[in-house]
Amino acid sequence: MSDTDLIELEEEEHTSQLTAPVFRRILTLLKPHWKWVLGFLITIALTSALDAWFTYLNKQIVDTGIVPGDKARVMQLAVIYGVFQLLQAGFVFTFIYLAGVLGERVQYDLRKMLFNHLQDLSLSYYAQNAVGRLIARVTSDTGRVADLLTWGVVDTTWAVMNIITSVTFMALINWRLALIVFTVIPLMLFIAVQFRKRILVEYRTARRTNSKITGAFNENFQGVRVVKALLREDENTREFQGLTTQMYNASYRAAWLSALFLPTVQIIAALALGVIVGYGGTQIQVGMMTIGGIQAFVSYLTFMMWPIQDLARVYAEMQHSIASAERIFKLADTPPEVHDRPGAVPAETLMGEIEFDHVDFFYEDRKPVLTDFTLKVKPGETIALVGPTGGGKSTIVNLLCRFYEPRSGVIRINGRDYRDYTLASIHSRIGIVLQTPHLFSGSVRDNIRYGRLEAADEEIVEAAKIAGAHDFIVTLEKGYDHNVGEGGNLLSVGQKQLISLARAVLARPELFIMDEATSSVDTLTEALIQKGMENLMQGRTSFVIAHRLSTIRRADRILVIENGRIAEQGTHAELLKLRGHYYRLYTQQFRHELEARYGVAEEEMKEEREALAAD
Amino acid sequence: MTTTQPTYEPAITFDFRRALHENRLKGLWKMMVDYRLPYIGATLALAVSALAKTFTYLLLRFFADDVLAQGKFIGGSLVTTSLWIGAGFVGLAIVEGGFSFLSGRLAAYTAEGITRRLRDFLFDHIQRLSFSYHATTPTGDLIERVTSDVDALRRFFSEQGIGMGRIILLFVINFAAILNLNVELGLISVIVIPFMLWVSLWFFKKVTKAYEEYQAQEAVLSTTLQENLTGVRVVKAFARQEYEKNKFEKDNWGKFLKGKILLFMHSMFWPLSDIVLGLQMLFGFVYAANMAINGEITVGMYIAYVGLVVWLIWPIRNLGRIIVSASTGMVSYGRLMEVVKQAREPLHDGKYQPAGAVRGEIVFENVSFMYSDGKSDALKNISFHVKPGQAVALLGSTGSGKTSLVNLLPRFHEYTGGRILLDGVELKDYPRAYLRRQIGIVEQEPFLFSRSIRENITYGVGRDVPQEEVERAAKAAAIHDVILTFPDGYNTLVGEKGVTLSGGQKQRVTIARTLLKNPRILILDDSTSSVDTETEAEIRAALNQLMENRTTFIIAHRIQSVMNADLILVLDKGEVVQMGTHEELLADPAGMYRRIYDIQTRIDEELEMEIAKAQ
Repeated sequence: MSDTDLIELEEEEHTSQLTAPVFRRILTLLKPHWKWVLGFLITIALTSALDAWFTYLNKQIVDTGIVPGDKARVMQLAVIYGVFQLLQAGFVFTFIYLAGVLGERVQYDLRKMLFNHLQDLSLSYYAQNAVGRLIARVTSDTGRVADLLTWGVVDTTWAVMNIITSVTFMALINWRLALIVFTVIPLMLFIAVQFRKRILVEYRTARRTNSKITGAFNENFQGVRVVKALLREDENTREFQGLTTQMYNASYRAAWLSALFLPTVQIIAALALGVIVGYGGTQIQVGMMTIGGIQAFVSYLTFMMWPIQDLARVYAEMQHSIASAERIFKLADTPPEVHDRPGAVPAETLMGEIEFDHVDFFYEDRKPVLTDFTLKVKPGETIALVGPTGGGKSTIVNLLCRFYEPRSGVIRINGRDYRDYTLASIHSRIGIVLQTPHLFSGSVRDNIRYGRLEAADEEIVEAAKIAGAHDFIVTLEKGYDHNVGEGGNLLSVGQKQLISLARAVLARPELFIMDEATSSVDTLTEALIQKGMENLMQGRTSFVIAHRLSTIRRADRILVIENGRIAEQGTHAELLKLRGHYYRLYTQQFRHELEARYGVAEEEMKEEREALAAD
Repeated sequence: MTTTQPTYEPAITFDFRRALHENRLKGLWKMMVDYRLPYIGATLALAVSALAKTFTYLLLRFFADDVLAQGKFIGGSLVTTSLWIGAGFVGLAIVEGGFSFLSGRLAAYTAEGITRRLRDFLFDHIQRLSFSYHATTPTGDLIERVTSDVDALRRFFSEQGIGMGRIILLFVINFAAILNLNVELGLISVIVIPFMLWVSLWFFKKVTKAYEEYQAQEAVLSTTLQENLTGVRVVKAFARQEYEKNKFEKDNWGKFLKGKILLFMHSMFWPLSDIVLGLQMLFGFVYAANMAINGEITVGMYIAYVGLVVWLIWPIRNLGRIIVSASTGMVSYGRLMEVVKQAREPLHDGKYQPAGAVRGEIVFENVSFMYSDGKSDALKNISFHVKPGQAVALLGSTGSGKTSLVNLLPRFHEYTGGRILLDGVELKDYPRAYLRRQIGIVEQEPFLFSRSIRENITYGVGRDVPQEEVERAAKAAAIHDVILTFPDGYNTLVGEKGVTLSGGQKQRVTIARTLLKNPRILILDDSTSSVDTETEAEIRAALNQLMENRTTFIIAHRIQSVMNADLILVLDKGEVVQMGTHEELLADPAGMYRRIYDIQTRIDEELEMEIAKAQ
């Protein structure tokens, strides 16, 4: 949360100077809803005009009703007043509803557009943009643009209309005095904008400091053990007080600037009023001014600060809304890197030979990851990828899934460049289980069904049984209807992996890809996962980024990947004989895996040894 | 190096435990110590400002009645009188604006001041709460309290308190002014006020609820978005883009509908209340106009009335809004006080105040320990004796009580039975601060702070450490060379904005830190982690250097890390099942230690067998 805030604030800093084209593009968002826009523009303008008119009616009541003692005239004006009020209420209803709902609608449209576009963007885009940043794009940036387009426009229209009608009525009463008012309006506006800008600067400093404060709290809570062990309490508090002092300074300044803002504008208005009364009073004698007229001027000038304040606020905030819009458009304009080529055909099957033919690959940082990588895999073969972190194992999988495409060289499926196939036809035939399994909020059943949306409930249970997940699912409080929590957080890593196995089983993939978890799961779950994998790999081409001995030993072929190349390949027995990279990796892993179980339970050790012996 | 450190007394200016009170309003009042006068001052300034506004209209009345109607001139002519009156308006505006500013500034001073010291206090307080409090309280919950609830209180003082004061003062002063003009007129002007207040309270309660639902839907939408973005690989791998688009569409549309409901409520309330209040005002105008024509009041009184009554009627709607939102401030007070009332861990209390460093002789006599939830004994009847400088190894599976045992030494937890003697003095008689200065802890995967590497190494050392000394420690901990590969060397930030360290690297940073701290007693968590063989050797060398001349407790899973210890405790379910040196323990063929040892030696044989089989 605070992270997102921070990203947002950092990005607010830089905006391009070309606001006009962006602004024009923002306006096109309103095009499909132009009737609504017209509706609220007219009603807000009328509301505003009536606001000014009421003051004029009051003047007429005094001058043409009370002073001459004409009761009928008072009643007549009162009726007009009442009718105007009813009309205005209707207008107010209309503009609040139209502008408000339109704001929601624009936000809805923008979010929909961004979300749909994000679905099409390639993994390379996600690798370069933190999730927090993308979330900020879809949530807060869209909100700000929608606000500008609706309430920003409403406030501006109301303010401009109010100033125009007020000045017009004042001119009707006495045009010379109206001229005085007219000349101070720009001055009031100028001062108001200056205030607003300064307040905004302080306000943003305060927000930035607030993010830091939240961060400091968070870190101190999470690291409380270290803080206590190292007796860092006093020092931490002192450091924290530096932050709260910054926060105090910024928010206090923002607050008192706000408190100074309206009175200053008001006093300028009062100066104009002083001149008007001083001058206007003398004109009463010559019949150029009435007492009702003076009263109207007092009213107009007293309430003049509201439109001025609105205009200043919209103006000051506009540049930030435009910056938001710019970021939204930038995201919407990013083309997906991996996409269907023209004339792409659906792949009929992935159960064929898969070939990496002299493939080179690097990520955005341009450091080579795979160099001249060549590999042929027969249908149904199980390939284990082993090797150090950063060696290129995940990249091979990413290319295989066509999350990325080779920078040079070709990947062929059934002898044909896989870029000739449609993405959807490839993806729908792949089953994948990730190292950190990702689940969605909802029930266990929903999560398994993700593998094949039209699957019946029985098929889901069947898939869970094959994956070895069924037994633990039925022990959950609500069984298959059990809620897994946000991101599956209510389940353990092992359980999440079992469910994602079941999900992959249900998808009936032709190509199965698994990235084994490095983190330890309890022994029972571990055994279940192994069993599930075994079931899933039968009769399918499989690629496993392997960390467990049993998986490695079971593979048809083991590839040791180092520095983007195949350092060694062969079966378990062949590779051990080489006494090379694989031998070292294997013996180290062997010790680790067995040693890790020492204190835990000797019984399991026995089983393990028996299993080893039986192999 | 010295073991006594300078203590920084952070200046916590106010102890909020003094503000605990069952009655929330009284509690808030107690919170305001030192700020009561400024806050009362803010209210009084508001009153002066409101009075000035009222006098503006009374001046208008004087102008109409006394000057124009009765010809009472100041300075003999209408011109000078008009100028005086004009100056009067300006003067009143300056008083009004000046005091309004003063009030705002004092209110901000109060609100921001109280917030700052509240944040300082909470930060300092929470890190001094007991270990068990932190273990049982989720970080997210605490963060929520120290951010949102603190902000709700800030708004209570800066907006709601002063806002209520403003509306009530405006009402009272203007009502008094109108009553003073004419009692009858005053009474007929407030007919709908109680009704309106009731309606607005009712409405804002409803609308707050609708707003919460709207926000809840926004949260649902954010979750969907976040899960989609973090699970992008799953979405793509299963080709579920369309499904995701539909899911988002559903939530997005749901939010649009919730927004529509909210806007409908607003678009009904505002114009309807406009009508009620507007008709009330019009009724007053007509009534007053008739009284003026009948000669019951003067024209000037009428004009003053028209100006004054606006400030009586319109703010009432907002009073409902402010009262409803002020209630959230009261709830937040309660939630914060739940944290404030938690008991702190006294750092400096202890019957025995030792002068120098400890020797490090530790005796456990029938020590038992039970967590405060009282479920089961974490430790039962533990007895052993360690001489200064000796190493004690704790061997056992997860949950056997190893960590609970070492947590007793720095008094993170208090033992519940038996006694622990340090240098012959009962551990409970030592001040916690003293013990923690004498004890260094190296965890397996320690917590690092998002500061520079250098700051992490010197964290909690409590004195200025020259760079050479930092480097010497880093070299001894075998981390210096790694640090030099980072972009900014020792100034590289740790965490999201800098480098991510592996578990082994973090551990070595902690070893360097502990070397600088130079404690007499050392606690090492040496559980197996996945580091490669080379790194493991480096860490081991660093640890051996660290253990020299210190009483050391080693937590371990593996025989390899414990065999050189002077004393080995084999723990199982909170009890010591075996105790002795490596040789002594090996001598018992039925013992757990011997069994673990046998398995280990067998590993090598098995590995050889496996390789032989491959060849």
